[in-house]
Amino acid sequence: MKKLLAIVLCLAMLLPVLAMAEGDGRVHITYSFWGNQTEADSVQQALDAYNEMQDKVFVEPMQIPNEQYTETLVNYAIADQLPDCGMVNENSVLYFARNGVMADVSDMYAGEELQPMECITFKDGDTPVGYSSSNEILILYYNKDMFDAANEPYPSADTPYTWDEFVEVAKRLTFDEAGKHPGEDGFNPEKIVQYGAFVNNWTWQMEVWALSNGGAWFSEDGKECLINSPEAIESIQKVADLALVEHVAPLNVIPEDNGVGVGIGSKTVAMTTDGTWRLGTDFPNLGINYGIAPLPMMKEEVTICTSGLTGVFKGKHQQEAYDFVKWYTREESNWDALVLTGIWLPKSEYFYKTEEGINEWLGNEKYPYNKDMETGRKVLVDYTMNYAKPTCWYFTPNTQVTTNEILFTALQSVWSGERTAEEVINEIYPELCEAIVVE
Amino acid sequence: MTAIPKRKRIRYNRAETRAAWLCLLPSVIGLTCITYLPMIASFALSLFSWNGLGDMKFVGLDNYVRLFTRDTKFYGSLLTTLEYAGISVIGSIVYSMIIAMLLNRKVPARGFFRAVFYLPYVLPALAVYLGWKWLYDYNHGLFNYLIKLNGGTSVKFLDSSGMVTPSLAMIAVWLSGNLIVIFLAGLQNVPRTYHEAAEIDGANAWQRFWNITIPCMTPIIFYNLLMSLVSNLQVITPALSLTQGGPGTGSYFMCFMLYTQAFKSHKYGYGSAIAVILFVLIAIFTGILFATSKGWIFYEGDDKE
Repeated sequence: MKKLLAIVLCLAMLLPVLAMAEGDGRVHITYSFWGNQTEADSVQQALDAYNEMQDKVFVEPMQIPNEQYTETLVNYAIADQLPDCGMVNENSVLYFARNGVMADVSDMYAGEELQPMECITFKDGDTPVGYSSSNEILILYYNKDMFDAANEPYPSADTPYTWDEFVEVAKRLTFDEAGKHPGEDGFNPEKIVQYGAFVNNWTWQMEVWALSNGGAWFSEDGKECLINSPEAIESIQKVADLALVEHVAPLNVIPEDNGVGVGIGSKTVAMTTDGTWRLGTDFPNLGINYGIAPLPMMKEEVTICTSGLTGVFKGKHQQEAYDFVKWYTREESNWDALVLTGIWLPKSEYFYKTEEGINEWLGNEKYPYNKDMETGRKVLVDYTMNYAKPTCWYFTPNTQVTTNEILFTALQSVWSGERTAEEVINEIYPELCEAIVVE
Repeated sequence: MTAIPKRKRIRYNRAETRAAWLCLLPSVIGLTCITYLPMIASFALSLFSWNGLGDMKFVGLDNYVRLFTRDTKFYGSLLTTLEYAGISVIGSIVYSMIIAMLLNRKVPARGFFRAVFYLPYVLPALAVYLGWKWLYDYNHGLFNYLIKLNGGTSVKFLDSSGMVTPSLAMIAVWLSGNLIVIFLAGLQNVPRTYHEAAEIDGANAWQRFWNITIPCMTPIIFYNLLMSLVSNLQVITPALSLTQGGPGTGSYFMCFMLYTQAFKSHKYGYGSAIAVILFVLIAIFTGILFATSKGWIFYEGDDKE
């Protein structure tokens, strides 16, 4: 009797395995992603739509926590258990591509009407290895109420502030408990109530200032490390000095991108730089009267573009995954959930270069910045088209080491004011050069 | 002198032996697969260069040579780990001993206070660190608010390489509720007769503490010292949740360095080499503790002076 019971229990344990067997005659493929519950819901919506559309393939979601996303994918790859397709963090795209894990997608848009922009194309040498699912650029956000209270004209959407103007305006918007501004007699930097500016110093976002100052972090072929040029070094120091010398920005030693939420959202900072995804992820919930403008410029007008990639991994269902990714990354497939909410800027040139294309999203009343279309056009469309350059991970290998590890840790000493940008960069320069060499 | 009778070896029957092995099996399998094999694998991996996806390349001791000769952060990381472990071990032993002695007295609501001091230990680590982050924050933190209220200048608790290690170690001290409980149990085992005898002989409180309580507590102190040292040398959570390793190498603990190198930068061989060094470091400190323990631990019933 006992033995019989044991056998029945063992068989019962096998039931779920049987239930998982693909019995619907469709090829089951897996799509991995990171994100919160809202994002998971929107992914599920898209997958449902796709699964309903055709009867040969069934796409299943696989949610992985953001912090361990890349590690988890690597572990799956080692065990030969990679999902068929999935989101890939920008800093790991070239790592996966160069190690032969990702399928060739260079012809994904060949002959298509909607062509992805050059700026968001990941390249290994000259070969395209993937396209971001959307576009995002860095811009300047400001709290209009705080500008009004200081009688300060809003930043122009046409002509960006020069760096000196930016610092001057920031000074006028910064005041201490006694209402004194930086530079005035009796100003007490220990008792600042409101800061004028916040420059997001998340490591990868710092690259834009090197470009703005006429320098660069890496050469365009991704083979040379240029971060020790005087321009690049000066750009880092200038950002650090906003808090350390000018007293117009809060200290942010362990970089946190809280310029929007904690900064202009709670009226502690009047202007902040950040990515365009904030239009959708943060501002609708903040309920503040905000405006957008191009980034201030040190010497050249420039911004950087970036966005995660949806990759196809090599495997036996590669073709099915390829077809799904091609469908999934079209703007149309994510139109309501991601484009019209403001989280994604479109990735295809059509939506920037043609009137109809621009009107489809920017002209849509659901779009968060629809209220001031003229400004939206200048800051989101023209700025992308004329001044956006790719972030270094589109063309430089091993950015998970260079920006995320070496620079991230080293720059903290600059933000805290313990060391100068020059000292720090010169110290880590050999390490950085070594890190971008591919064996 | 009577001869000591030879101890008879107890013979178990086969069924008993089998049951014993079956009971041991899960932990033997667990220990082997989850601890010993990965340890050996990690040591082997430290001799290779491997990025996780590509081919493994045997490099001999290159990873170690690089760590000791070319890595700009390794010595900083080593010193930071030792500094953190030193402050938090000594701090938490002293702190929990004092709290345990207070809680051992007949104070009102003793049970409540015991719970209060034990509570931090059972709180979720991330919640604790986020709370402390708010206290330590340079711009809006409570500590700096109080300092400025009293006319002082803001302190960079987490934002300077010199302050960050002691600041994080302070949190570890605050978290040492488990040590308090163990000390309390130990204190209750200190024979009252010794204290009474000493009191009759005219010893004051300090003399009684130093000559009775401390010697009787040495086995407990040893245990707490060992546990706290091992766990604090392996520290990683504050760096992951608060400071991300900086500023400088102020919170770049060895465990954090290992994790970053292996799992964030995909240098698995290099990360393994750091793991091996950390293992050796912990082994050395544990060895020193054990080697010196005979000299200062007092066991009741021992005929030692």
